[in-house]
Amino acid sequence: MKKYSQLPAACAAAAFILAACSPPAPIAPHAASGAAGGDKYDVAKMDLKPVPAKISSERHTGAFAEGAALSLDAQLKPLDPSPVKTIRLDTTHKIIEIAPGVKFSAWTFGDHVPGPTVRAKVGDKIRFSMTNRSDEPVPGVRLTSAPMMHSMDFHAAMVSPQDKYRSIAPGQTIEFEFTLNYPGMFMYHCGTPMILEHIASGMYGALIVEPREGYPTKVDREYVVIQSEFYAKPDPGKQKVDGAPLYVLDGDRLRAAQPTHTVFNGSHNGMVKNPLAAKTGERVRLFVLNVGPSKTSSFHVVGTIFDRVWMDGNPDNQMRGMQTVLLGSSNAAIVEFLIPEDGSYIMVDHHFANASQGAIGLVSTTAKPPASELEHHNMPASATPSDPDAVAGKQAFESKCLACHSIGQGKKLGPDLAGVTKRRSEAWLAKWLKAPEAMLQTDADAKAMLKEYNNLPMPNQSLGDAEIRQYIKYFQWIDAQPAGSVKAAGAR
Amino acid sequence: MRRLAAAAGIALALNASAAIACGYCVEDKIASTYDHAVVTAALARHHHVAFYHIDGPIPPGDAAKRSLESLAESTPGVDKGSVRVAVETLTISFAFDPRRAPLLAVQTAMDRKFAAKKLALMPLKVIERAAEMKTVQR
Repeated sequence: MKKYSQLPAACAAAAFILAACSPPAPIAPHAASGAAGGDKYDVAKMDLKPVPAKISSERHTGAFAEGAALSLDAQLKPLDPSPVKTIRLDTTHKIIEIAPGVKFSAWTFGDHVPGPTVRAKVGDKIRFSMTNRSDEPVPGVRLTSAPMMHSMDFHAAMVSPQDKYRSIAPGQTIEFEFTLNYPGMFMYHCGTPMILEHIASGMYGALIVEPREGYPTKVDREYVVIQSEFYAKPDPGKQKVDGAPLYVLDGDRLRAAQPTHTVFNGSHNGMVKNPLAAKTGERVRLFVLNVGPSKTSSFHVVGTIFDRVWMDGNPDNQMRGMQTVLLGSSNAAIVEFLIPEDGSYIMVDHHFANASQGAIGLVSTTAKPPASELEHHNMPASATPSDPDAVAGKQAFESKCLACHSIGQGKKLGPDLAGVTKRRSEAWLAKWLKAPEAMLQTDADAKAMLKEYNNLPMPNQSLGDAEIRQYIKYFQWIDAQPAGSVKAAGAR
Repeated sequence: MRRLAAAAGIALALNASAAIACGYCVEDKIASTYDHAVVTAALARHHHVAFYHIDGPIPPGDAAKRSLESLAESTPGVDKGSVRVAVETLTISFAFDPRRAPLLAVQTAMDRKFAAKKLALMPLKVIERAAEMKTVQR
């Protein structure tokens, strides 16, 4: 008799539940459900005979990412000719630097954020395996997140999510395969609840599927650009990584869709420091994917025009002569353009709030273009402070103060606070923030300010000393940036 | 009979959720209460970790969650501090000592406590060894 054989009817119910979740039988392709013969999207010619996924406790060791079809950085490797792409993308937890000094506790596929790009073509089979290695020991004090369950969701696949996209526990390995039926640039991501947290922590990447006959144009360069958001806050436990503060996921900002960083290829202004190379007269093809998780991208390259745009990476979805391509979360596009003359062509999310958070990069004919080439976009090297106090001050200021104050946008009900640390001493600011009503009784500068602002006194915000220090740190950080480079203004 | 009817309802709901695909699969429910520290500590003591669907109305909020946690923790055989409840996914997990109380006994006792709140438990999976999730055998 089997163990637990005496369990009551609930077990039968559970079996029923499991049966309900098990993958449906493969659909017999039916020509009538597709288009007429000769149609490359004819479902009768598609492989819709998936093999059930296999889960085991045999864990991978060694490299976290393997496969000839994988590219680990922006430069896309040529198509591997093998009709079966065997790829392995293990999940890990690691600390990554998303901006200078911002060491973020990330979750990854293949130990990279974004995960490696997979390149294949229509008709190829992807043979995929993944071990959840989030539990692997790390040297020293463990700063990464606790091990947890993860999964893989390939948008390029046509399979039962209840079978292939199952979450696996640390130490488990899942294997499954699927055939690529449609060309495009598809997102992959972890689909374990809460999906928002898994994507915002770094678990995403791209699978590029070329048309069976290849792309209709020839290009000189191919690069992958993946836009994503990060929602980071200093670790409440004040842990440090190599002397710098550890940053963790900010759940409140995540749910409110208020990112702290919006970036290309996982790094704030990353492709400014390391531009994508091109030469005058060359034709460049960018594979652009916006993984979100919650913002759209208005992708634009300053100084050129997209000769061709293939929405979602499928040449059948073609537009010509586009200035900008709008990508919702998990949308992609292949854009092609010419480099007309020597220069640095600025890739940017034309939602400039996103660009100011780091979604900027260069396609350049010179290896290290001078920083001044970005000046006309008013983009400082870092638009977000890295000091935890300054970050907290920024968040508090943006949520509480913008009704009455701006930064670099002129007077509102109260003064423009750009330059305030140059106009007032730190001690004066601390006293003012602590008890403005007392200052108005005794301080000449405070009295003059009251008169200038129509006798509207600043209300006492009941701030503690730590909060006051955070505000002042933020104001000091603003005044240390290039003049006019930091701007903030709420609704008037 | 009531339980079977409820099970059928859940099964139908789960089947319908195929279109939703997120948060309703067995493994996704398990992920919502999976705590690696609990699993590691339990297996080190040769204890097991069980995952259950909770059938019935649970009011949202921390109070209901805490109430279910303490109710489950008071069940003989359940490891103190090991109970995890996810109200959003209607899932509960706990570690237990199979030598002291087999899963059937733990489930029966816990089910009785939950019945007072008009709730019923339905087994999902049990972890008896590292990196292995077993369907509870009939």
